[in-house]
Amino acid sequence: MNGIEQALTTGVEGGTVILFPALGELIGQRAGIVNLGTEGCMLAGALAAYAVAAVTGSAWLGVVAGFVAGGAVGFAHSWLVVRRKADQLASGLVLWFLAIGLTSVLGTTYVSRTVNALPIVKVPGLGSIPWLGTILFTHDPLVYASYVLVAVVWWALYRTRVGLVLRATGERPEVVSVAGRRPELVQIAAVTLGAALAGIGGAQLSVGYVDSWFDDMTNGYGFIAVAVVLFAAWRPLLVLLGAYVFGVALAAASVLQAHGVAVNQYVLDALPYVVTLVALVLFARSGGSRAPEGLSRALTNTS
Amino acid sequence: MSLIARGAPARPSSDAGAGVVAPSLLERLGDVSGWRRAGLTLGAYVASLALFGAVVGTQHANPLSVYDSIVHSALLDGGSLAAVVLRAVPIVLAALAVSVPARAGLVNVGGEGQLIVGAVGATGVGVALGAAVPGPLGWLLMALAGFGAGALWGGLAGLLRVSVGANEAVTTLLLNFVANDLMLYLLYQPWKDPTGGGQPESRPLVASEILPKLFGSSVNLGVIVAAVVALVVHVLLKRTGWGFALRVVGGNQVAARRAGLPVHRLMVSSMATGGGLAGLGGMLYLAGTQVQLLPGGTATYGYIAFLAAFLGRHEPLKVVVAALAFSAIAVGAPGLQLDYGLDGNVVDVLLALIVAAPLALSANRKKAF
Repeated sequence: MNGIEQALTTGVEGGTVILFPALGELIGQRAGIVNLGTEGCMLAGALAAYAVAAVTGSAWLGVVAGFVAGGAVGFAHSWLVVRRKADQLASGLVLWFLAIGLTSVLGTTYVSRTVNALPIVKVPGLGSIPWLGTILFTHDPLVYASYVLVAVVWWALYRTRVGLVLRATGERPEVVSVAGRRPELVQIAAVTLGAALAGIGGAQLSVGYVDSWFDDMTNGYGFIAVAVVLFAAWRPLLVLLGAYVFGVALAAASVLQAHGVAVNQYVLDALPYVVTLVALVLFARSGGSRAPEGLSRALTNTS
Repeated sequence: MSLIARGAPARPSSDAGAGVVAPSLLERLGDVSGWRRAGLTLGAYVASLALFGAVVGTQHANPLSVYDSIVHSALLDGGSLAAVVLRAVPIVLAALAVSVPARAGLVNVGGEGQLIVGAVGATGVGVALGAAVPGPLGWLLMALAGFGAGALWGGLAGLLRVSVGANEAVTTLLLNFVANDLMLYLLYQPWKDPTGGGQPESRPLVASEILPKLFGSSVNLGVIVAAVVALVVHVLLKRTGWGFALRVVGGNQVAARRAGLPVHRLMVSSMATGGGLAGLGGMLYLAGTQVQLLPGGTATYGYIAFLAAFLGRHEPLKVVVAALAFSAIAVGAPGLQLDYGLDGNVVDVLLALIVAAPLALSANRKKAF
């Protein structure tokens, strides 16, 4: 396997860690709510998945636990923001901080445990395509699930009534209430579901990508997921692309080192954040005008 | 009414009562909703403390004795009061770094990175100067380097906000990670102390560069500087045209622009000032307490500061009180680890829950508009 192939393969695997939370964040932001606590949802998901996998021996039960744990944190965020009118950005950060503390405390016993990680499954047929087969179809099943999820989110968003109500909630909640639906419930459901997906991203990290649990292991990936949604201008297919760009930047460090390229490790570690910042600079302006109206009010602190 | 919560931290709370005649004490006592609000507030904080008790309970620690030992280690043990005040220095300055831009409606979550680059800048200058200049001049140059580095880091996020519309909460968060990697790069390669036994540490500052201790205690000059800076920021925000203009921008950007205020310049200057304050905090902590640049030296003080700034509702003097309280809780962490086997990060849970209480009460807050 050459360096580029390896970087792309690892990039897809690591990009999936961002893709789940980014798609989840896209759903919530389309309903007009930012969740900076995505980082906390991922942490909660990562620990819940790892702990359940360690105790039951089943990584899949772990993934379910990650989904539930992420959703629980997200529900708290949506309750504070929607029902209690808390500031969105502050609420997300407080929940992130809460998750850091809780996962450190509850996770100490799992630091040295081992789990049966998610298996790598080569897709029959597709996996044998030269080059692309390795990059796209030799992964753990959550990666394949994420491919399907992108399509489902796109379809649901643009082709279904649910998607229409969701988008309308993010743009003009009052129109939704005139149409006889409760925008508050739509927002709570969207944020909770989105956070549950972030929990799956955390699970992909702990029981799929790195196979271990340690304090603060999400390392800012949740914030990158939020940034990806912003520069992808709330479009699912661009979110997919952005997540993989990030994944490759993340993989570059280990691949370059494995090939003996002498680049300082900490310069490489900074790469994903720098790449994300550059992408924000390049695309923020063009994307900004596409922001759901309710969301841009929250993002710019104007009413 | 908008269903989207407006940026509460951005709202200058002091103008909440503008134009409203302050109610007399008698009127306030008769104000049933006021009593209800007070009860709810109390209830929310009690619920926070109870939740934290439940968390430590799951770790087989007695919640009451945990609270008892936090109070003891923060206030009653000899010397720990000094530790609280010392640790509050970076927290206070990084919290002011949140509050100044908040006046202009901006969310600076970059206190952590700004503390780091401030300490990095101060280390660069301090190590280069060595004993070449007398102490006070060395302190001043290091402080300028720290402030300047922090101002660049914060100002960059402000610039990205006004030029391309990149949300400053997201960019400051990302810049925190970049700052940390920058510091690690310096500590593992060019700045590594060759005599440090292989540890990733910078050379220590020379004795004359270290801030002097005061009153024969471990409290150093940095504490005085932080207190003075907090007062200056208070005056800047309350008594100067700049502070007033920031509040106008934070209140209504469109109106501010129509009134002829240089909105973009004000926003960038508030972010740069905030970043500079945190950078100064990084310098004071380095030159007063750490004496050499260490990985993880800021220990999430930047994030604790964000919570403190929010709890203090961005009023500089209240922010200082909140920062001191949070510093006291943070100082208690090692004791909890020692006595109860609780992970030191357990205090993050307590801090987050304390700030969650006012968040949960946002809907009950009296609003001026």
